[in-house]
Amino acid sequence: MQVVMSILSHFIQRLSRTVWSGRYWLTILFVLSTISGNAQNPSLEYQLKAVFLFNFTQFVDWPAESFPNNKSPLVIGVIGENPFGNYLEQAVSGETKNGHPVIVQYYRDEEAAKSCHMLFINLPASDKRKQVIDKIKEEPVLTVSDASDFSIQGGLVRFVKKNNKIKLQINLEACKELGLVPSSKLLKLADIVEPGKTN
Amino acid sequence: MFLINGIVLLTAGMAFFGNEFYSFKKTTVEKLSTIGKIIAANSTAALAFDSPDDAREILAALRAEPHIVAACIYDKNGKIFSEYYAGNEKSKFPPSPGPQGYRFSYTHLDGFVPVMQETLPLGTLYLKSDMGALHAWLGLYAVVVAVILLVSFLLAFVLVRFLGKSISTPILALSQTAKIISDRKDYTVRAIKMSNDELGSLTEAFNQMLDQIKKKDDNLSEFNQNLELKVRDRTAQLETVNKELEGFSYSVSHDLRAPLRAIVGFASILEEEYAGRLDVEGKRITAIIKKNTMKMGRLIDDLLEFSQMGKHDGMKVTINMGRMVNDIKDAMALQYDTHRISWSMGDLPNVNANASMIRQVWVNLIANAIKYSGKNEAPQIEIGAMTKEGEYVYYVVDNGVGFDQQYSEKLFKVFQRLHSPEEFEGTGVGLALVKKIITREGGSVWAESEVGKGACFYFSLPARNEIRVNHQ
Repeated sequence: MQVVMSILSHFIQRLSRTVWSGRYWLTILFVLSTISGNAQNPSLEYQLKAVFLFNFTQFVDWPAESFPNNKSPLVIGVIGENPFGNYLEQAVSGETKNGHPVIVQYYRDEEAAKSCHMLFINLPASDKRKQVIDKIKEEPVLTVSDASDFSIQGGLVRFVKKNNKIKLQINLEACKELGLVPSSKLLKLADIVEPGKTN
Repeated sequence: MFLINGIVLLTAGMAFFGNEFYSFKKTTVEKLSTIGKIIAANSTAALAFDSPDDAREILAALRAEPHIVAACIYDKNGKIFSEYYAGNEKSKFPPSPGPQGYRFSYTHLDGFVPVMQETLPLGTLYLKSDMGALHAWLGLYAVVVAVILLVSFLLAFVLVRFLGKSISTPILALSQTAKIISDRKDYTVRAIKMSNDELGSLTEAFNQMLDQIKKKDDNLSEFNQNLELKVRDRTAQLETVNKELEGFSYSVSHDLRAPLRAIVGFASILEEEYAGRLDVEGKRITAIIKKNTMKMGRLIDDLLEFSQMGKHDGMKVTINMGRMVNDIKDAMALQYDTHRISWSMGDLPNVNANASMIRQVWVNLIANAIKYSGKNEAPQIEIGAMTKEGEYVYYVVDNGVGFDQQYSEKLFKVFQRLHSPEEFEGTGVGLALVKKIITREGGSVWAESEVGKGACFYFSLPARNEIRVNHQ
């Protein structure tokens, strides 16, 4: 609930930054969110992951060729079941990355997912995942998943739950090969994995 | 002067202090601001990916800056995300982030820096720096300024004393010298040159001036001495010449008298012993010879007297003028026919002068009056005196033939006569003698007349001599 509130208040704050102090909206939002008590709300974990996905857009640079033009959107794709509800859309709504508006796309077909910039793969079946990864492994798509064998399968970023905290694992070599450049600040937080050597 | 020095120094010190204080504060803020920006930039990922541990690690880098006593990062909701303390003491952070920027309080400098990834706001960094550095610096600077002020004051004091002395000492010496010179009139005294500056050249100029004065003074006294010598020389020469002249005229007069006496003597013999043998014409001619020769003898006598005047040195006595004039009047009765004359006499004040000289003056003037009024049927002679401006003015008035006033000056020159010897006998020496005597006695002579209306002769004598009369 706390996270929801914080995310929401973040949007409101951005909208009203020049109009009013954030503190005021925070209070209003808290009241609103308590009243609404949305049943469709994702778990806290996925709320946080949704924010993380958005934050990746700010801490990773994509190759210029991945954008047809400088107004074309930066697309966050979700394949498999959507665990975020509409939370991810809310998180990216109105946001941009170097002038590219950030949008969310939900895919059923890995073929279509080729055109996105970041793909959250929420497929429990390992072979299915592998199929998607293989399909887009030539494209500059930052693949993200919770799956434990994700790195070995060729995935780039993995959410790891440790001590009730979400940590990141990044396959830096693979990122570099695709022309994706994670910020050093992001790398400082994350564990760098090399699939050939680790499990 | 000292006060002005002090004010200037103090103002300068304060200005420096103020400027330094301001720039130090500014530098401190800039330094803190730089640190804040670096820390904020480094903490973006920690905030974005919810990693307080990393944030703590980043904040721990602040340990390198000991004056930063505390720091914290707020997340975008304004909740404290990570904290940092320099010491063990945990300070209280502001419950929520304030506006961006830094503020000085008495004990601290603190401020808020937004934490942003590109344009995405992620949270706020709070930094708190103590004023230890500022206070330490203030103390040090205050000491430095105080020391500089003190040294400057001392320096100014010493300079004023030294310079004052170096100026006043030579000037005092100079004025002392000037005083000595004007007191003693000694132009050989010189001021002592003490330095090679402007005062030194002033002293030099002063001494040069003295040199010139000395030179002029010497010239002047030399000239004076020469002049005195010259005057003495000339006086001596004049005296010699005068004596020679007097001697000459005396011997001339004296030697001239001898043949005259012979002529008169033999003419008398002719008159007395050869009277029977001389006819009337012979007797008349002899008488003319005798008369003219005697006349010449008188002339010579007068000249002799005139030239001998210089030899009589004034034995001044108190003269009873009234008695003197009466005596002369009585004596005149033997020589001239005076019974027709009506005399009038005023009071004649006594005077202190050479008696024989003054007698001569009266004799000449009274004789003149008798002589020139003799042709009048009722001759009158008035003798009197008056007092005028410290002088006694004596006069003799007659009602005789008088003279033309424009020739009055001529009267008093030797041999100058206004009448022919045939009209009135005389040698032309008498009035010249009067003028000479009166001039010597310190008085003056003048005459007033109109033709046919008589004449008035005046002579004045200084009255101051009369004071002694009363004592005698």
